[in-house]
Amino acid sequence: MVGIGESSFDFRNEENASFMTSLNILGYEWKHFVRSPFKVVALLLFVAASVYGLHNGARLYETQMDEVANIEAKMSEARQECLAFYEADQKGPEKRPWVDVTAPMWAMWYANIYHFNTPSSAMEFSIGQAEQYGFYKKITTRASSYDNDLTQEIANPERLQTGSLDFAFALLYLLPLVLLIMLYNLNSMEAEQGFLPLIEVQTASRYWWLGSRMLFYIGLLWIVLLGLLIYGAYLTGVFTNAGFAFGQMLFWSSLYLLFWSGLFFLLIRNSTTILSNALKMVGAWLLFAFIIPATVHQGVSIVQPAGFMTELIDAQRDQIWKLYDLPDSVLHARIEQRFPEIANSPIAEDRKKRQMAYKASTPALFNDLVKTSIVPIEQAYRDRNQLIRWSTLFNPVTFFQNQFNQVTETHFDDYLNYRHELQSLIDQQINTLVTDTWEGKVVTPSHFENYIQDLSQP
Amino acid sequence: MWHIIKNEWIGLHRNRAFLGLSTGFMMVLLLTVVLGTLQTHLQQRQYESAKNEVRQQWENLNPMNPHGAAHYGTYVFKPNSLLGSLDEGVNGVTGKVLRVEGHVQNEIVHSEASQMQAVSKFGKLKSALLLQYILPLLLLFVAFRSVNSEKQSGRLKLLVLQGGQLQRLVWAKVLAVWLYGMALLLLTLVAYALASSSSIDANTALRVLFFFLSYGLFYFIISGLTVLLSTLGKNATIALTTMLGIWILWTIFLPNILMSTVDQWHELPSREAFKTAMKADRSKGIDGHNPSDERSKELKEQTLKKYGVEEVSQLPINFDGLRMQADEAYGNRVWDKHFGRLREILAHQKQDYQLAGVLNPFISLQNASMGFAGSDNYHHQEFLVRVELYRRDFIKTLNDKHAYGGSTTGDWQWKVDQGFFKSVSDFVYQPVRLSAVISHYFLDLVLLLAWSALVSLLLIFATRKMPLL
Repeated sequence: MVGIGESSFDFRNEENASFMTSLNILGYEWKHFVRSPFKVVALLLFVAASVYGLHNGARLYETQMDEVANIEAKMSEARQECLAFYEADQKGPEKRPWVDVTAPMWAMWYANIYHFNTPSSAMEFSIGQAEQYGFYKKITTRASSYDNDLTQEIANPERLQTGSLDFAFALLYLLPLVLLIMLYNLNSMEAEQGFLPLIEVQTASRYWWLGSRMLFYIGLLWIVLLGLLIYGAYLTGVFTNAGFAFGQMLFWSSLYLLFWSGLFFLLIRNSTTILSNALKMVGAWLLFAFIIPATVHQGVSIVQPAGFMTELIDAQRDQIWKLYDLPDSVLHARIEQRFPEIANSPIAEDRKKRQMAYKASTPALFNDLVKTSIVPIEQAYRDRNQLIRWSTLFNPVTFFQNQFNQVTETHFDDYLNYRHELQSLIDQQINTLVTDTWEGKVVTPSHFENYIQDLSQP
Repeated sequence: MWHIIKNEWIGLHRNRAFLGLSTGFMMVLLLTVVLGTLQTHLQQRQYESAKNEVRQQWENLNPMNPHGAAHYGTYVFKPNSLLGSLDEGVNGVTGKVLRVEGHVQNEIVHSEASQMQAVSKFGKLKSALLLQYILPLLLLFVAFRSVNSEKQSGRLKLLVLQGGQLQRLVWAKVLAVWLYGMALLLLTLVAYALASSSSIDANTALRVLFFFLSYGLFYFIISGLTVLLSTLGKNATIALTTMLGIWILWTIFLPNILMSTVDQWHELPSREAFKTAMKADRSKGIDGHNPSDERSKELKEQTLKKYGVEEVSQLPINFDGLRMQADEAYGNRVWDKHFGRLREILAHQKQDYQLAGVLNPFISLQNASMGFAGSDNYHHQEFLVRVELYRRDFIKTLNDKHAYGGSTTGDWQWKVDQGFFKSVSDFVYQPVRLSAVISHYFLDLVLLLAWSALVSLLLIFATRKMPLL
């Protein structure tokens, strides 16, 4: 029998007695742990899964960073090509005689402005929703923040459905199981063998004794977690690039460990058999890890079902085509209403150039239509997410899952913010296009460089 | 043997905790069927509404040039899977909206998962979640003491001394637990059949049958293995902890690791690489919108020769329509090559993952469950292929009208009316017949059968060598 106070002393009336007893208990618990192959194997499996998960996350981070670098190189190449047109006093590629890079519209197109949602190096800790969305997009006057190219990277849907084994998965689902395996026979084994009264005599409080024993496993797992986090941090340079994220991950994962420890303590403190301990703990794990999140997920999809985005479809197709069908006079009036300042611009006086300027300004109306259609869609997102947030009162695993995602910038809100940044860049490009076109601006290489500079920052 | 099974059941029913747990579990199972059916009805309503809206827009188009209409295009929405209310499979993570238009094969977008923050890693509360993860645990808890308690109480020895056959006794224990699982499975499927009676046809019924068979085999593996460990173990706790370890390994640990591994073995290209490669191939072909393109000129010469005229203006047809269709035909070859390659990689990933059923029968169960429910990636890919075939037909109809409908080359103002748009058929999705895809799931069924056979053999072997005390 290991783990109960085997000392012949009764410490209750001695100074530092509690401290010494605690040390004894921790020492015996270590022996208990190393002599229990089931527990050691469980811990090793957890470590292996976590390391695998960290490497999986790091791999995704590196893949995304490579992709960003690859697109940046292409952007730079295309820009150099355009600058060469200016130097050679050419309007554009020979095969495309309609291109004129001195016009703001074509200059912006050739500026190849991309906006990236550059992954955080802390992504390796939690892939989160990173695989559900695109992370780069070319900004054009006809783009929208809900274009098809913002959909997820090419991936096997069955893998997405099964979920990637990242560090957060190990933390959220395997850590409580490891803790369960560590604790399932605490208290109950002594109860089954009739040692509990003896323990109470020796340690004053059974709960204190149980708490001390649990403390050993909590400490052990916390040290393992810390080690894993440090190991992960070195994989992608988290300390250099996202040191605060490391601290936050440590905080939330420690809190998560404490949550399960507290819950398991409540479950096992009065149990009388190993079987009832195991049943209660497995039941709690199933409830919090499976049943509650799955019920909330099902409930949300019934109360706030995800739609087919028909508002966006209508705007991007039907309403835009209806704009095309409008008589020129009506369309022009709308553009003038949208940009009253163009009435006094130099081009407004030039009948020939005015037609082209109206044409170049129409994307502003398309953009307005799309933005209006996005409002109810994003409201639905907010309502749905509000419902999920409200559920975290009784759904701790989802709460922690989203905390990890927020720390690693792979949360839904991070991608929504990215969409907002894209929209702001699209607006900026459209406004610049309209202003410069109606001003009759002839784009020079320095203007071109300015476009690159100004239209890349949301 | 039936007598022993009956006795086991009576024993279980006398246990209040067991009765309470079973009643609670049955209620949750029924709830999943109700919620799943409700969600399916809601989705179906949304689907019908979106589909009708898009069709109305198409039919009420103002007179328009056919090629303009090809750019206007249409949308196809992904309908519910046949048994989607039982097992949602990949439907939560795949897109639901596919734009059908000229010159390009689009990808499906706007998945449910992308429209909300993360909630559950294991999906919604569908029957499959309970049947795959929780019910096996329940069976495990029912079975882990079954033989061990008889051994420890000495009743086993007594039964053998009275002439009872050890093997029959052990098998009866296995069957008693297995039948309990089968009863709960049957209850779920009967409830599903009642809730969806209007939509069940022979194809669906056959799918339900195979669904039932797959789960039945898996429950046998779980029941048999637990009773085996109960037979071999020194005490019941060892049997329980070992089975719990196996359950964690099979359901939580291995599926994720093995899926990530096959994903790395057969790597999919990045979207950027995929698009760049397609664009490069596409640029080698004819450009429908560029008459000065070399290939356009070639096609023009061929057409002039065919019709025996000197100029396109003398052609009795609209050459622009022919050029657009030639552009489509070339594009289709490019899409077939690149999207075909993607499908090949996905198929390799799936095959290797299915083979992982050798290590883990839970993987075979998951594959079979999604497959028979019509919600796995094979069915998803089949849907995408059918939409693409529809797109090709849709665009060809428009290009043919452009070419042969009575307009002349260069007359982009020529328009067709609503009557023509109404005559263009809408996309109709016929659910995939099981007979067309069942070969994909043979391996899963064979592996489940092989595992069942292995467990049976181990049980026979272990019973022969089993000490009575």
